[in-house]
Amino acid sequence: MTPEDDNRNEAIGRPRYARSALAASFVSLVGLADAVYLTVHHYTAEPVPCTVIAGCEQVLNSAYATLGGILTAIFGGAAEGIATSGIGEIPLAALGGLAYFVAFSLALLTAYGNTAMWKLFGIHMVLLAVFTGWLIYLQGFVIGAFCQFCLISAATTFTLLAIFLISKSPFRIRL
Amino acid sequence: MNNQPPPKSGAPLIIIGAVFLIVLIGGFYWYSTSRQSPAAANNNRAANTPKQSAIPANAPQGANPPNMKGSPNAVVTIEEFADFQCPQCANVYKMMNTIHASYGSRIKFIYRNFPLTQIHKNAYDASVAAEAVYLQDANKFWEMQNQLFTNQAVWSNMPDARPTFKEYVQKIGLDVVRWETDVAGMMAKNRVGADMERGRALNVGGTPTIYINGQPVSNPQMSVEGMRQIIDAELDKGAAPAQNPPPAQPANPSNANSNK
Repeated sequence: MTPEDDNRNEAIGRPRYARSALAASFVSLVGLADAVYLTVHHYTAEPVPCTVIAGCEQVLNSAYATLGGILTAIFGGAAEGIATSGIGEIPLAALGGLAYFVAFSLALLTAYGNTAMWKLFGIHMVLLAVFTGWLIYLQGFVIGAFCQFCLISAATTFTLLAIFLISKSPFRIRL
Repeated sequence: MNNQPPPKSGAPLIIIGAVFLIVLIGGFYWYSTSRQSPAAANNNRAANTPKQSAIPANAPQGANPPNMKGSPNAVVTIEEFADFQCPQCANVYKMMNTIHASYGSRIKFIYRNFPLTQIHKNAYDASVAAEAVYLQDANKFWEMQNQLFTNQAVWSNMPDARPTFKEYVQKIGLDVVRWETDVAGMMAKNRVGADMERGRALNVGGTPTIYINGQPVSNPQMSVEGMRQIIDAELDKGAAPAQNPPPAQPANPSNANSNK
């Protein structure tokens, strides 16, 4: 899309960023499905099959797979109270699911004309992308293994960020 | 530019609500069915699970004697490489208790330490703590294992879990001073090291890794039902003991020498 397309869209009643937002809402569902899959596996304690690369179990059984582990990694001993409580047991995948659901909701609201939500979507995706980058670093340099389902999640996040950035770019491609 | 506000529509909220409900109900349904029939859920993934090799005859022996329960002469040997800090190992621990309760002396169960030290900061200390218990009383190792797995959430994220391990040792009624000496010494560490060496030689990539009569148990089979099927098949065959079987446990483990 180009700025002219936006103007044309608005002239014919189609909200600004509608196509980008619609695409983002579909991509968010991929991330949501991935997160739900990992969350259910976490609670059923079933091993996650690694069909493409080895290392899912190593990553998903690591201390960083739960909120408690992440808080401890970021805040150290200061987070011990939360980390050792029931809240600390919440799997990161569940929080990822929540993040994708928020992204889906913001994108859908934008697609239906509430364009103010697109800015929130952008902020949300930038924060999520930074966090995802850190998680990739943990997998590569701390845990020493990669989980394919975590990589799918990361790809989803970066795709959503790319959709947002392209929609804001003056050199937008036609979607 | 068109400055008119967009037309109000309830459609996005309905869709968002519908997706929320689908995820919530679908996730809960999936969770319930998976919990009720783990074998059925696991069987669907059998074809895609990476294969682990069988135990070669020349693999390092591991801690000698090993942490073993059941009958030394049983025709079925279950050998598990586990990490006390790994959540999945805590789940498999419960499965193994069920298996052990069902089969008793018809199986031989060996626990191998394989702490994933890069990702579990307290796992190595937990293994050493448990092996120090073994050095004092081989039977108490299993009580310590129970303390470590059932309280895993308590100590996993502690900056230093050793005082907590000491409490467990007190709880199971051992000589704490002697345990502290054993923790500081090399014998317990060497036993952990020997188990890890065996695991590395077998290309154990994660925990838990389980072998039944020297053959690896794939992820989809790693359920009570899945393992029962393998054990029953081995019992039916009257299978020969595992390749490279570990020697039986001596009466007094305190005098056992480490193999390192």
